[in-house]
Amino acid sequence: MAGTVQRTINVKLRVWRQPNRDTPGHFEEYEARDINTDASFLEMLDIVNERLIKENKDPIAFDHDCREGICGSCSMVINGNPHGPELGTATCQLHMRKFKDGDTITIEPFRARAFPIIKDLSVDRTALDKIIAAGGYISVNTGNAPDANSIPVPKADADEAFDAATCIGCGACVAACVNSSAMLFMAAKIAHLEKLPQGRVEHEQRVLKMVKAMEEAGFGNCSNTGACALSCPKEIKFETIARLNRSFLKASVKRRS
Amino acid sequence: MKYSLSSIGQKQIMAVTGLVWAGFVLSHMIGNLLIIAGPDVYNGYSHALVSNPLVYLAEAGLVLTLLFHVVKGIRLTIANRRARDTKYALTPNGAKSPRFQSRWMIFHGSIILVFIILHLLSFKYGPGIREGYITTVNGVEMRDIYRLVVEAFRQPGYMLWYVIAMVFVGLHLSHGFYSSFASLGFYHPRYSPILNKFGYLYAVVVALGFIVPPIYVYFVL
Amino acid sequence: MAAETKSLDSKIPPGPLETKWENHKYAMKLVNPANKRKHTIIVVGTGLAGSSASATLGELGYNVKTFCIHESPRRAHSIAAQGGINAAKNYQNDGDSVLRLFYDTIKGGDFRAREANVYRLAEISPNIIDQCVAQGVPFAREYGGYLTNRSFGGAQVSRTFYARGQTGQQLLLGAYQAMMRQVAAKQVTLYTRREMLDLVLVDGVARGIITRNLVTGEIETHAADAVILATGGYGNIFYLSTNAKLSNATAIWRAHKRGAYFANPCFTQIHPTCIPVSGPYQSKLTLMSESLRNDGRVWVPKQPGDKRHPNDIPEEERDYYLERVYPSYGNLAPRDVSSRQAKFRVDEGRGVGPTGMAVYLDFRDAIKRLGKKVIDERYGNLFAMYEKITGENPYEVPMRIYPAVHYTMGGLWVDYNLMSNIPGLHVLGEANFSDHGANRLGASALMQGLADGYFIIPYTISHYIASTPLPKVDTNHEAFREAKADVEARLNKLLSVKGTRSPDDFHRQLGHIMWEYVGMSRNEAGLKKAIEEIRKLREEYHQNVKVMGDANYINPELEKAARVADYMELGELMAHDALHRNESCGGHFREEYQTPDGEALRDDKNFCYVAAWEWGGASTPPVLHKEELKFEKVQLATRSYK
Repeated sequence: MAGTVQRTINVKLRVWRQPNRDTPGHFEEYEARDINTDASFLEMLDIVNERLIKENKDPIAFDHDCREGICGSCSMVINGNPHGPELGTATCQLHMRKFKDGDTITIEPFRARAFPIIKDLSVDRTALDKIIAAGGYISVNTGNAPDANSIPVPKADADEAFDAATCIGCGACVAACVNSSAMLFMAAKIAHLEKLPQGRVEHEQRVLKMVKAMEEAGFGNCSNTGACALSCPKEIKFETIARLNRSFLKASVKRRS
Repeated sequence: MKYSLSSIGQKQIMAVTGLVWAGFVLSHMIGNLLIIAGPDVYNGYSHALVSNPLVYLAEAGLVLTLLFHVVKGIRLTIANRRARDTKYALTPNGAKSPRFQSRWMIFHGSIILVFIILHLLSFKYGPGIREGYITTVNGVEMRDIYRLVVEAFRQPGYMLWYVIAMVFVGLHLSHGFYSSFASLGFYHPRYSPILNKFGYLYAVVVALGFIVPPIYVYFVL
Repeated sequence: MAAETKSLDSKIPPGPLETKWENHKYAMKLVNPANKRKHTIIVVGTGLAGSSASATLGELGYNVKTFCIHESPRRAHSIAAQGGINAAKNYQNDGDSVLRLFYDTIKGGDFRAREANVYRLAEISPNIIDQCVAQGVPFAREYGGYLTNRSFGGAQVSRTFYARGQTGQQLLLGAYQAMMRQVAAKQVTLYTRREMLDLVLVDGVARGIITRNLVTGEIETHAADAVILATGGYGNIFYLSTNAKLSNATAIWRAHKRGAYFANPCFTQIHPTCIPVSGPYQSKLTLMSESLRNDGRVWVPKQPGDKRHPNDIPEEERDYYLERVYPSYGNLAPRDVSSRQAKFRVDEGRGVGPTGMAVYLDFRDAIKRLGKKVIDERYGNLFAMYEKITGENPYEVPMRIYPAVHYTMGGLWVDYNLMSNIPGLHVLGEANFSDHGANRLGASALMQGLADGYFIIPYTISHYIASTPLPKVDTNHEAFREAKADVEARLNKLLSVKGTRSPDDFHRQLGHIMWEYVGMSRNEAGLKKAIEEIRKLREEYHQNVKVMGDANYINPELEKAARVADYMELGELMAHDALHRNESCGGHFREEYQTPDGEALRDDKNFCYVAAWEWGGASTPPVLHKEELKFEKVQLATRSYK
C-alpha cells in the first residue's frame, strides 16, 4: 500500500530540449534518482530541475499551473502519449507509481504547427483561443438574461452539454492526432452550446465560423482515427466529432439555399 | 469558405465517394465469386454486365468518384502532413493507441490505386476477343474473361500481389466504412458501436470474398 | 507597534441597507456611450472577476486591455473551484432570501465584513445565476428541467448552484467565452503570458502598469484611465496550498508598495479536507470537496504513535474527535473549527500516515449503512481522484486528509465602489478584502468574483471615469520610465546575486515559517519569532538566491524569484497583522484568546474594524489605518457550533 510503505525508483529521462522556436531541438538524457513513487510526474521534473540548477544547468521548461487536472496547462507527450499512459488523466495527475524502476521515459512537447514551441516542453496554444473567439460563446451581454428558470432544459441535454463542456483546452487531442487537427476541441465547445436552448439560436453560424477559424489557425483535417478521444484527459467522446460533422453539413446546406 | 474546400466538406466528399466504392467493391466481389460456378456462368455474367448500356453511366460515376476520392485524399494528406512540422519520436500506444489502420489510409489508398490501374489494364483493357479470348455461351459469342482470369491467377506472383492488395482493401474499408458514416454525421450511443463492428465485418467479408477466387484458382482448380 | 492614523472612508452610500445600492446606482455618474471608447481600462487577471469585468466593460464600449499570466485566459485558478456558487434565488422555497444570505455571510465571516458590501453581494447574487445560465453554464438540473441546489457549510437552506464538481470551471468558461467575444469584437485586447510587475501612478492616480512579457522577457508599459486588479489571493505564500503554482501576490503587493492599503492580511482560510503531504518534493495540495464530510467520519487512534494499519485498529481504540467535541455538528463543523481540531490531534502525536501529518476520513460505516453503490454515486469522482493521487482505494482504506491553506480573505483595501485608496486603482475578487470578513463560507468566492466583475465594477468605474478629471497620459510620461527602470533594476539585482539556493528552496522555508507560526493557530511569541525569522530569511534571500538564465527570454526561475521576494515582505506584514489583532475570529485563531473550552474568543469592543496597512518602507513598520465596522442590521453574536 502506497500510503504507508514509501518506495523509490530510478528512471532515465530522454527530454526534448529546444531553446526557442527557431533553433532546432534535440533529446537530452537525464537520470532521475530516488524518486518517491507517490510523487507526481511534474514533481519528478521539479526534482530534476532543482538538481540541474545546482549543477548550473538550464532547467527544463514546461507548462503547469493548477496541478490538479483542471487548468489544462500541462502539455507533454510521455512515451508517445499526450499526458502519459493513463486514460482520463492529465500529466499533473500522473504519478510515478505508474512507472517501474529502470524505465526510460521519453518526454516530448506537443507537436503541431499550430502550437509553436516556446522552449523545451512549453508550447504556445493560443490558436485554441482563436477558435473560441470565432464563435465559441453565446452572444448575451451582461444584464440581458431572463430568470434562470424561465427556460427549462431537459436533464439529459444539460448532462450532455456538461460532458462536452468539461474540455480543459489542453490540446492533447491535437497532439495525439496524426493530422494535428483540433476537431475534438472545437466539437466539444460546439456540442456544449448546441445542447442548450440558449446556445441553439446561433448554432449554425457558430459552426461555420469556428470551422473556418480552425482551418486558418493551421490545424490539420480530421480523419476519424479517434486518437484524440483516447488521449483526452476529460474523456470527451469521439462521437462529439460526428455530431459536429452533421451540424456542419446542415449549416452548409442551409447557408446555400 | 467554399464547402468543397473546407476541412469538413472535403472529409464528407471523401466519405460519400468512399461509400460509393465500398458499395461497388461488394457487388464486384460477389460477381467474382461466380468463378466457382464455372466458365459459362462467369462469362455470361460478365457479358451481361458489359452489354448493359447503363454500364457506361456506372463506369463514369465510378471514375468520377474515384478521382474525387483520390484528389481530395492527396490534398488532405498533404495539408495534414504540413500541420505538424516536427516528427514525434514515439506515437500514441498502449491504452491510448488508435486503430493502427486509421493512421495509414494514404498508404493503403495508394496501393489500392496502383492496383486499380493495373487491374483495369490487365482485365478491362486486357486481351479480348481479338486476341483470341473468345467463347460461346448459349449460342452467344463473348469474351472469355474466365480464361484470362484463370491464367492470371495461376501465376504465383500475380496471385500473391492480388491477395495482398485485397488485404489492403480490407484494411482501408475497416476504417473507411465506419469513418464515412461518422464524417457524414451519423452518431448514436447505441447504434454507432454496432455500426463500427459492422464496418469491420464488411471489410473482412469483402476482402475474403475477393481473396477466394485467386486461392480457388491457384490451389483448387 | 505601528502608529495609528485617522480612520478610512468606505464611501458607503446613505440610506437603509436595502436601498443603498439601488440609490447609489442612480446617484453615480454615467459615461456617454460615444465617450466610452475614448477611455482605456486595464484589467489584470482573467479569473472570474477579471474575465467578467473585461467582458462587461467591453460590451459597454470601453477600450479594455486585459492581461493574464497564462498562455490562455481560461487557465486562471478560478477554474479549480469545485463546490458551487451561492445565490439567494429561493428556488427551493425553503426560506432563503437576500437577507438570509446576507446574514449567513456576515455571521460566517465572524462579523468582520462590511455590512453594505455583503448586502449588495446577496442582492446581486440571483442576477449572476441568470447571467451564467444565459451564457450556457450547464448547471445541474432536475428531471423537470429546472435548476437544482445543494446545501453547503454554514447555511440551513439549499442555495448552492453547481455543475458537478467543476462549478468554477464552468463559470470561468462562461466568463472567458463572453470575454473572447469581446476580443473578437476588438473591444478587449488580450495580453497573455504577461506578469504585472508594477503599478504606475501619475500625480497620485493609477494610470498604468508595467508588465513583463514572460516569453520574450520584454518589460512593457501600458497606460490607461483606470486600472483593475483581479489577480487573486496570496495563499501561495505558504508554499504549499491549494492555489495553482502561478497564483501569486506580486500585483497586489506592488500596488501596496505604491501606496494601496493592505487590509486584514492575516485572515487566511485553511480548508480541512485536503490530501496530505506525501514527501518533501510535494509541490501543491489538492482539495477534496467538503461534501465528503456528509458521510465520512473523522478519526485518529486514541494512542499516540499507533502505527497499525487503520483497518486493524478496533472501534474502541479510535477517537472520533469531531463527534466527541462537537456533538451537535459532529463531522460537519465549519472549516476553521475542523481544521484546528485536526492540528490539535497531530500536535498530540496522534496523526496518521507515513508523515504523521494527517487524520482519517473513514467511509466504512457509510458504506455499511448505504451500500457501496450509493457512496459511489455521491462521491465516485472524488474517490477516483483520491486514488489517482495516493494510490489507495478509499472504499477499502480510510482516506487520509489534512488541512491546507485555501483562500485569503484579506487583500487590498477597497471602498464601497471597489476602489482602493489610490484613485483609479480598483480591486476585484479574492484580491480585495471586501466581503468575507474573517472567514469565507463555501460557495461564496465564485459569487463574489462574478458580482464584482459583472455587476458592480461596470457601474462604479464609469462613475469614477465620469467624475474624475483624467488628463491625457501616455507611456512616455516620466512615471512610466521610472517604474520601468525600477522593475528592470529589481530583476537584474535578483539575477546578479548568483547565490547557492533556488527561489523554490527559499520559498519552502518561508512557507514553513508561515505555516508554523502564522497558520492555523497563532500566539504572540510565535508571531514575534516569525517576524524575526522572516527578516533573517529575507536578508539571506537577497544575498544567496540563485537565479539561472537571464531576463531576455522565458525564465520561470526569474519569475519565481521576483514573486518570492515579494512574499518575503508580505509574510512579515501578515505576521504583523496577526500579532496586532488581539482576538480570535474566523480564520485568525490566537491561542491567548479562546474560551475555556477552546473556542475562538472575539473582542468586538477593541477589534471590530478592518485593519488596513500602509507600506511603511523596507525598515519602518507598516502604518495602521482603521475602518470601523458599524453594524446597523445585525446583532453581533458568538459563533457556536457545539
